[in-house]
Amino acid sequence: MDTRREDVSISIRSAFLRKGAQQRFSLLGLIIVSVLLIFIETIELKPLNTVRSFIKDLIYRSAVVATYPTKIYATTSIFIVNHFTLYNNYNETIEENKKLKSKISDTDFLKLENIQLRQLINEQVESSSSLMSARVILDKQSPYLNSFIINIGLNKNIKKGMAVLDGKNFIGRIVDVNFFSSRVLLVTDLNSKIPVIVEPSGAHAILSGYGENKLILEYLSENHKVKDGDKVYTSGKEGIFTPGIAVGEAKTKKENIQVKLYSDLNQMTFVNINFGNLENNEE
Amino acid sequence: MSISSREFSYKFISLLPILLLFYISLNGSSVINIKFISVNIHYILVYFWVLRQPHSLGHGYIFLSGIISDVVLGFPLGSNSLALLFVAGVASYVRVVTVRVTLINDWISFIPALLFANFFYYIALYYSDFPIDYFYLLKNSLFTFIFYPVLWVIFSLILNLMKS
Repeated sequence: MDTRREDVSISIRSAFLRKGAQQRFSLLGLIIVSVLLIFIETIELKPLNTVRSFIKDLIYRSAVVATYPTKIYATTSIFIVNHFTLYNNYNETIEENKKLKSKISDTDFLKLENIQLRQLINEQVESSSSLMSARVILDKQSPYLNSFIINIGLNKNIKKGMAVLDGKNFIGRIVDVNFFSSRVLLVTDLNSKIPVIVEPSGAHAILSGYGENKLILEYLSENHKVKDGDKVYTSGKEGIFTPGIAVGEAKTKKENIQVKLYSDLNQMTFVNINFGNLENNEE
Repeated sequence: MSISSREFSYKFISLLPILLLFYISLNGSSVINIKFISVNIHYILVYFWVLRQPHSLGHGYIFLSGIISDVVLGFPLGSNSLALLFVAGVASYVRVVTVRVTLINDWISFIPALLFANFFYYIALYYSDFPIDYFYLLKNSLFTFIFYPVLWVIFSLILNLMKS
């Protein structure tokens, strides 16, 4: 019995403590380093955050390079499929293109006329300078985090909590800011809770993510009059997001009220960051 | 010229486990989710190579690839490394105590590796205030175990190429 116990202990020591012929580090040493890293991750200190930001930036950039073959493969396969389908749709597309061009010229004319008329009555044209565009550089969905990485960070004055839009529609918020990159937590994530208002009833609610593109309206008043197709906007109640950013449409189910987003979260290439009320706030 | 190309192909094949390890970490594809199926190929890769050819996959590389996975997938730094190092630890132990190499032996001994790795992984997530989906854990462990023989065959082919 004792001999068997000794054998097990020798085997465990051999596996975890010995470095082996070509191993530079022992497993136990690296396990201790990992545990220390997990512990350090919970500490919020400026020098630690700087080191973390630097490491994350470095790995994100390397990941962008490493994903090139996958991206090239995806782009090439899409290109080939498009090439084969293009010929069949060629004539139809030319016709459509003609119609669209005529529409675009009509719209341009109307825009120009609108600006001239506004200038005529001295009305200020609203500017959208509180928005900043960013490119999605890494979109790897992990099982517990619906998020992606964008290519701007502290270098463009991005701060935690800023709203992220697809066009003019709300899709998430900034949760992690590095020097040259930031992580966007999508509205569908389990950790996402956004105060919203449902129009036309004016009911206030919390929009909670449940993963896998499922969104539910919570904390609605008992006598709410929300029905299918009602529009959902950010309420701005938390004082960070600008109120009135479009989110999606309500869809009543038996047990709860779900929200269908205006944007498709799987198709993000460029996003807009809304500086909102955080623009002038100090960190 | 032919000798150098042979040397190059030998070098490439012997580096393949490390290249694969870092590629799946940087590409964020350590866990493959296809509809209901979820397979952790990171665990299988580390387990197989540490068990069958430990000098192809250093402990330091395993640790580093875990850190990269954590950053790319947004997990707390160190959680994936810890899980991968436990997989490597169990594989090292199994290598010490077993003599015959068979698929069944490897497959059965992969169960404690999975259990240990996921146990410490989820403890790490729990202490970092990450939401834990226990059903996902079960599903992932089960399919990783089921999928093991498929990758075992592929990796064995690479191993044979290395040895030849």
